Amino acid sequence: MKITIKLIGPFIYAAGFSEKEFEAPRSATVESLFGLVGIEKDRPKIVTRNGKAVGPVDELQDGDRVVISPLYSGG
Amino acid sequence: MYGWTGNILRIDLTTKTFKKEPFSEEFAKKWVGGRGFALKILWDELKPGIDPLGPENKFIVALGPIAGIPAPNTGKAVVAAKSPITGGYGDGNIGTRVAEHLRKAGYDVLIVEGKASSPTYIYIEDDKVDFLPADEVWGKGTYATNDWIYAKYGKGVGVLNIGQGGENMVLYAMVRSLEGRAGGRPGMGAVMGSKKLKAIVVKGTKTIPVADPGQMKAIGTGDLKKVGAIDKQTGWSIQGTNGVLAWCNEVAALPVRNFRKTQHPDAWKIDGERLNAARIATYGCPNCTMRCGIAIRDHEGRESELDYENIGLLGANLEIFDLDQVASLNYLCDDYGIDTMSTGCVLSFYADAIEHGATTGDFRFGDAERAKQLLGIAARREGELGNLLADGSLRMARRFGHGSEAYAMQVKGLELAAYNCKFIPGMALAFGTSPIGAHHREAWIITFELKQTSRESYGREKAAKVVELQRIRGGLFEFMVACRFPWIELGWDLKNYPIYFNKATGLDWTLDDFWKVGDRIYALMKFFWAREIPDWDRTRDYPPMVWFDPANADKEGPIAGKFLELDKYNELLDHFYDIRGWDKRGIPTKKTAASLGLDKEAGEVQKYTKLE
Repeated sequence: MKITIKLIGPFIYAAGFSEKEFEAPRSATVESLFGLVGIEKDRPKIVTRNGKAVGPVDELQDGDRVVISPLYSGG
Repeated sequence: MYGWTGNILRIDLTTKTFKKEPFSEEFAKKWVGGRGFALKILWDELKPGIDPLGPENKFIVALGPIAGIPAPNTGKAVVAAKSPITGGYGDGNIGTRVAEHLRKAGYDVLIVEGKASSPTYIYIEDDKVDFLPADEVWGKGTYATNDWIYAKYGKGVGVLNIGQGGENMVLYAMVRSLEGRAGGRPGMGAVMGSKKLKAIVVKGTKTIPVADPGQMKAIGTGDLKKVGAIDKQTGWSIQGTNGVLAWCNEVAALPVRNFRKTQHPDAWKIDGERLNAARIATYGCPNCTMRCGIAIRDHEGRESELDYENIGLLGANLEIFDLDQVASLNYLCDDYGIDTMSTGCVLSFYADAIEHGATTGDFRFGDAERAKQLLGIAARREGELGNLLADGSLRMARRFGHGSEAYAMQVKGLELAAYNCKFIPGMALAFGTSPIGAHHREAWIITFELKQTSRESYGREKAAKVVELQRIRGGLFEFMVACRFPWIELGWDLKNYPIYFNKATGLDWTLDDFWKVGDRIYALMKFFWAREIPDWDRTRDYPPMVWFDPANADKEGPIAGKFLELDKYNELLDHFYDIRGWDKRGIPTKKTAASLGLDKEAGEVQKYTKLE
């Protein structure tokens, strides 16, 4: 299935891209994406899918847009 | 006393006199510094009902017990006065060399009273104060004024100055420093202007009294390096605060078109990636190792230093998605010395009001060139339109009528920061209960709301989080007077701050002691309001009413069809008041006042309104 990953802020420079489409196996979870983009599992972050927060073990679905962001605190 | 110099410098512009006044250890321990000192002095010395732009208002610069000491991000000062835009206590936090110089001159607080008979600037060097003519730069912008001062005294002095916005008493005029720094959103620059005070220049050469200078220096300089290392490791300052723009757009929290929309397909054109790519220089405050000021060339080729709030409100909110044009608007605001955030909201409200038929005019969303003209007209108070725009969105709405106050994006008269809360109840509460008017500085809980709770929830945990963050952001960081970014953006442990405080003062405080000071300050800020407005009621703690309007809900995207519900917001507000120990109007009870050592202040408030 196809998943679009959008990275925010410094994660872009760690992964080397800002937005990319990935082929992921069915039943892939949110946390399985972290390895793909080179972000440590334990690094504080917020992940949203189609604009809503998701947890690490939530399963992805074909066509999902997943946004991985550091924890911003509003300046 | 260690940590504090123990002195206030009181300057009277009317009589051109000054005096040094000691303050007690009890005062120092009860209010600590910065916002605490400024608030208590204004409470004690201002009569309620005074004109914020009259000579009876006082302009205060207040520092904390670690200001000017090498510790992470302590090059900051609080500027405060009764606010001309809200009518309540107003203040702001500005990165400036004045913090270190004023402390080294021997003062923790500067109080400026009265009004000069002609444009004046003050030069303070240790025990000396000179009252000097500023006619040569009156009518000039902040950049030219800064250069003029540097040419006289060198670049190492501390400077606070105003532009034409402050001179003309634009109600959202700022104080400026170090060319790129600004502070005092609730019209602190207008208060300086009302006193014909163009600038304050400070040079201090004494030693700040520190209980344990050796350890303070070792810990402070070591921690500055550590903070810098964390920033490098995490890459936070690559995009600085504007990293959040793309995220706000993804989660439907971006202000677009006077907050009517929460997302825009062109938002990427002004995001952190584009800002970083256009960077020509980076700036920061004194004692900072995570510099967040990213400068780019503006549309006219000038250097303009940007952050998220500028870009969100002068860019997305005006539907201007050319970064160089946003930089031009930002440059002009900085030079005129008017707040970029309020300016963005004032102009977006004007365009929205025209579009909704509440007024007539030629300004449309997306028109950068007209926006440049309009902000200049406002800063110079040119004609009827200039005076209209210079008074801020609430007063504009009251003149327009036609229900436009609902979409004047302000609280208590002060315009919003760049977070669209049309469906983020906890952050709407943070804006609503911010004691100086809508400001993200006091509390910011959007990530918490999305990650730790349900966005739909109006639960007590959100009110508790707002209180917790107010204690830290509007409390600790404002009375210690340090930048909150090491903590909020890099995770720098809050436990470090009592260490700095104790090494400086020789006391043995914990974070719990800090929280009590924070609660005391928030209670007195509310008493300040209650004394000014005896019929105060909870509606003044509401966010803009358009967020409760189902017709304003997004038509598509993650929060399509969603809007805030007023009865549930009131429940959230009840939780907030209950946790704070305030009554249903949002005023601290007698019991709460007593627990915070505010019996005397409660007695004063009761002359105006009954306390529960």
